[in-house]
Amino acid sequence: MQILANGLINGLTLALLALGFSVVYLPTRVFAIALAGVYALTPYLAWQCLQWHLPWGVTLPLSLLVVVLLSLAIERFNHRPLVRRGASPSAHMISSLGLFIILIQFVALIWGNETRVLRTGIDTTWMGWGVILTRSQLLAAGVAVVVLASFYTWLRRTSLGLQFRALADNPVQLALYGYNTDRLRLLAAGMAGLLTGLSSLLVAYDVGFDPHTGLNVLLLAIVAVIVGGRHSFFAPILGGVLIGFLRAEVVWYLSARWQEAVTFLLLVVILFFRPQGLLGSKGRLEADA
Amino acid sequence: MNYLLHLLIYINIYAILALSLNLVVGYCGLLTMAHAAYFAVGGYTYALATQVLGWGFIPAAGLAMAVSAFLSLAISLPAWRFRGDFFVLISLAVQTFIFSLLYNWSDTSAPLGSWRNLTNGPFGIAGIAKPDILGFKVSSIAAYCVLATVSTAACCLLFWLLKQSPWGRLLKCMRDDELAVRGLGKNTRLAKTQAFAVACMFAALAGALYAGYVGYLDPSSGSLDESILMLCMVLVGGVGNFRGPLVGAVVLLLIPEALRFVHMPDTIAANMRLMIYGLLIVGMTHFRPQGLAGEYRFK
Repeated sequence: MQILANGLINGLTLALLALGFSVVYLPTRVFAIALAGVYALTPYLAWQCLQWHLPWGVTLPLSLLVVVLLSLAIERFNHRPLVRRGASPSAHMISSLGLFIILIQFVALIWGNETRVLRTGIDTTWMGWGVILTRSQLLAAGVAVVVLASFYTWLRRTSLGLQFRALADNPVQLALYGYNTDRLRLLAAGMAGLLTGLSSLLVAYDVGFDPHTGLNVLLLAIVAVIVGGRHSFFAPILGGVLIGFLRAEVVWYLSARWQEAVTFLLLVVILFFRPQGLLGSKGRLEADA
Repeated sequence: MNYLLHLLIYINIYAILALSLNLVVGYCGLLTMAHAAYFAVGGYTYALATQVLGWGFIPAAGLAMAVSAFLSLAISLPAWRFRGDFFVLISLAVQTFIFSLLYNWSDTSAPLGSWRNLTNGPFGIAGIAKPDILGFKVSSIAAYCVLATVSTAACCLLFWLLKQSPWGRLLKCMRDDELAVRGLGKNTRLAKTQAFAVACMFAALAGALYAGYVGYLDPSSGSLDESILMLCMVLVGGVGNFRGPLVGAVVLLLIPEALRFVHMPDTIAANMRLMIYGLLIVGMTHFRPQGLAGEYRFK
């Protein structure tokens, strides 16, 4: 039970990041590795604000705002010119990789390489139904559920959400109908920044952070997206929670050091036997590769 | 003088890596992020063969190349079916998998090289003997430089011949339009498998040269960062022809050395180096997608 609860909570924070990734990937087909850099940067911004003795109420919105702006800038100044030039998805991915390297090195250069924590003191715990949870875990789970729920409500209920789904489905046709796809892309980038930043802060509050966790976590999130099914906005949640469970089980039955290997084994198995993901419908691989 | 020789050895090693990676990235059009894993596999195999089995340089490097070529199946079989982003993911999976094997296949109670402690985990393998070629011990740095240069020259010749051969043209055609090539009755799956096998073999050779030169090997030589560095080299230099990767390897190795001469403190230099790599990549995709000296724009 304890394992399941831990897995669920890790899975939910992972699902946030995975959603951040697919919010960019689905509409724009940009394989946004740079999000790993955003993920690494966020807690440092928060930490810096706390060093300046700003209250939490200012720190959190401020650091989230900065990463959202950063994410918008990446879309505006890197990906939009590339789209204009008709660059291929691989070119987007390569430039995103370059941005990721720059961001990570920037963080490491300014704040150093050691692991830090956001909260001070020992966490308070909460017991019930045979599980022990810390306050930050509860906080993470709560925030993740609220954010995910409000995202899906937005996606399903509002006109902007409908446009967003249309963009994911067929960007060229949407542009032909007279919608401003550039603005929608910016919106996607902004939301990705927000979701990534949130996920990062929640994890950083719970277990601490260093500059180099970003890529590993993002890879997990991408695996979650693939496992869930790339063509659905719901898939990241399913995949994220599934991977959270799986990793918790691996720690219990095998050892923490085999987590990565088992996770990527799952990816390979899924790609071979169900490349469209658990929720996906079957399409031709060549059509969207 | 020793410094220059040292630099030359590194350039040689990375030139082999860049050339072999170019075979996959430039000629097959498949972005792989697992090259450092094969580099490390080569290094580890070489180190274990010399240290545990007591083999000389040539058989040990041969074994390293064979093992790596066999393991290349892990990445070439998926390449039969996947392209684009999917393939990148698969290669990341392979990279992570091999890295975590190197990192975790250890047990401090068992001797190094036994079945339970194959890689010595995060502690790495220390004291790898200098290469021993047919009774001649390559111990001085100058001799090692000769060895590295000769190996690199041989590799260059081989890759140049491959590029000129019908097989090289087949790979290029396959990169541009796989369906059409299959329509002409060519076996593209076999060609991909061969390309990966050759590329990984030579990555392993570079790994063996590296292990023999440095004398110490730990899993970080097979980390994702190294793979990204190798990918940077071919992308900055340019892919799809012969000189691009060589230019990339030289440029990316000389940049950190240039930083050394402007007296940048060591703590900043490492980060600055990677940051410059990042800037180069972003700049390249915008202003010169084919790289400094390449001919193929990534699709």
